Amino acid sequence: MPNLIYIILRRLRSPLIFLILVYAISMTGFVLIPGVDNQGQIHYMSFFEAFYFVSFMGTTIGFGEIPYTFVAAQRYWTLLSLYATVIAWLYAIGSILGAFQDPAFRQQLKRNAFSRAVLRIREPFYLVCGYGDTGTQLVRSLAKEGILSVIIDYDQNRINELEITDFIVQPLWLCADASHSEVLESAGIKHPWCTGIISLANNDTVNLTVAIIAHLLNPNVRLISRAETPEAEANILSFGANEVINPFDIFASYLALALHSPSLSTLFDWMTAAPGDPIKEPVFPNHGMWIICGFGKFGEALYRHLRAAGEDLQIIDADKNKRNMPLGTVIGRATEANTLKEANIESAVGLIAGTENDADNLSILMTANELKSDIFRVARQNEEHNHPVFRAADVDLLMQRGRVVSNKIFALIRTPLLGDFLRIIARFNDRRASILVSRVIGVVERDTLELWEVRILPNKAPALYRMLKDQEILVEDLLRDPVNREKMISAVPLFLKRGKRNVILPEENRILYQGDRILMCGTLSARRHMNNISYNINALSYVVTGEYIPDGYIWRWIKERRKAKTNKSSD
Amino acid sequence: MNSEKVLFAFFIVLALTLNFGFFVGSFDLPEHHNAYSLFAAIVVSLIATILKFGDRTHIGAVFLATSLVADLQLIAAAIVWGMVEQVFDDVLSGGSLASVVSLSGGALVANFTSVILLVAETITVRR
Repeated sequence: MPNLIYIILRRLRSPLIFLILVYAISMTGFVLIPGVDNQGQIHYMSFFEAFYFVSFMGTTIGFGEIPYTFVAAQRYWTLLSLYATVIAWLYAIGSILGAFQDPAFRQQLKRNAFSRAVLRIREPFYLVCGYGDTGTQLVRSLAKEGILSVIIDYDQNRINELEITDFIVQPLWLCADASHSEVLESAGIKHPWCTGIISLANNDTVNLTVAIIAHLLNPNVRLISRAETPEAEANILSFGANEVINPFDIFASYLALALHSPSLSTLFDWMTAAPGDPIKEPVFPNHGMWIICGFGKFGEALYRHLRAAGEDLQIIDADKNKRNMPLGTVIGRATEANTLKEANIESAVGLIAGTENDADNLSILMTANELKSDIFRVARQNEEHNHPVFRAADVDLLMQRGRVVSNKIFALIRTPLLGDFLRIIARFNDRRASILVSRVIGVVERDTLELWEVRILPNKAPALYRMLKDQEILVEDLLRDPVNREKMISAVPLFLKRGKRNVILPEENRILYQGDRILMCGTLSARRHMNNISYNINALSYVVTGEYIPDGYIWRWIKERRKAKTNKSSD
Repeated sequence: MNSEKVLFAFFIVLALTLNFGFFVGSFDLPEHHNAYSLFAAIVVSLIATILKFGDRTHIGAVFLATSLVADLQLIAAAIVWGMVEQVFDDVLSGGSLASVVSLSGGALVANFTSVILLVAETITVRR
């Protein structure tokens, strides 16, 4: 706020000085010029009378010639000072209005309103830097979960788009450069309710800067950052970032996983889907020779992961001056049939159109389709607005950079245990993964899959925590329906974490302890039921013991009396 | 040489000298205290105040404060004068004259403080 006052005051300096000078000169003139009173005697105006006259003349109110009718000399002076004062007033008012219209002033006004709104936040929120394709999807997913986000982006067009979008939870936003520490500070980087910072800039340098600032200003906050090269990834991780998301790496490892274990990749897909996304069909790529078109950051990541998975690879790139290119690379445009033939497309099992240009990628797919129609086609989609075209192209696997990053981040935010779980099951063989997948499929069928975490802590699951003090609770009890305890709700406990110990697929008769964290998956209604029993001691008691605890002191007292009575009579 | 500094120092010192010119003289003699010099002192003091608008430094804030005090005292003096002569239709003398002059004396102290600040600021800037 002080900034605003200074801006206005500075703007008002010269108009106010001009106004005072004009007033002073006019008043002096009226005091000096001799007038005539009603008796015909010479009368000099006092300063009071002069100020009175100039005041109403300057504001164009005009009460007339006061205190006595003017002589010609006074009227000449009135004419002059009349125009001068009116101009002075217009100048002053114009300057004030101009100051309010000033872009710098309005930007300051918006920034102040934003900082005040951020200061008033009294719920956990995420600070999202960068509202590109990724940011848009992430903020939408967060809003669906009821999580507030605060957004910074330097692109005014992006902010305009944000202003006209409707969200369930309306985020706060500011158009500013996220790599300035004062911007991050006003966006609440040090706010006690700030749960995490998500840096999604297109530029790795900006992400690195955000990581450094966050590390210095608030080292305890959770930082999730995007990075597009392994070097940037290592660099950002060295500044205490909790998670670094490299979309190319994630996608390449996903493809490698799909080759190695289709069921596992299906599971990964489900676990990291955005809320409301339907369950996707599993993909079954074949082993053999793969053609990678475009050896940029994406191509390199694919090359690393697929070679580690033991596939034969053939690279096509148009730029012959690129360094680090593997031997045997075909130089040429992959959009042309000759180049693809040179890369031996006849014997290839899969083709990856991974250039940075969407039109090129589509064209590669079309050409490949004509040459070999049964090839497994993977495409990289760079721009979100091209999605309908890629969908129409009917590729086997689509890499949408924004979606890959936002889904991964969202999954990490929603269920922190998921990261650990995915890391553990990534080492599973295909047979164990199939068992896991069939367990999940048995419960959720075609519904969308919900993932949630049950934490047996006093503030997260108060009822469970309290009851565990004097009663044994089994994993199976959590899965009972609070309406009818003989029925089971559609949920599977995937993973149990107790201190440093991890249990994948905990058995139904395993005993729970205070402080346990359990990753659950199932339907939405199952999630609601479980939420109910973790908060509501009466529902929990019914589920565990089959007995109802009466609500309220009076009913409890009556029940105690009855119990005592029946005990007595049975004696 | 900075023309802004010259202008500012000019108005600060002029406010003090005009104020002093009005203030000196006997407390009971109206002819020692000229209405024109009070008017000039008010105008110059107002301009000196506005020149300090928008200065974000600490010393700038103190300048603004002392100038505002001087304005307040001088305008109060002018109001007393105007009330006595115009509203009560009386001649400025005795008690009323003394209060006008003492009000301007208070403004003089405020203006003097401004000049001291100006000197202090000038001395700290070594060239």
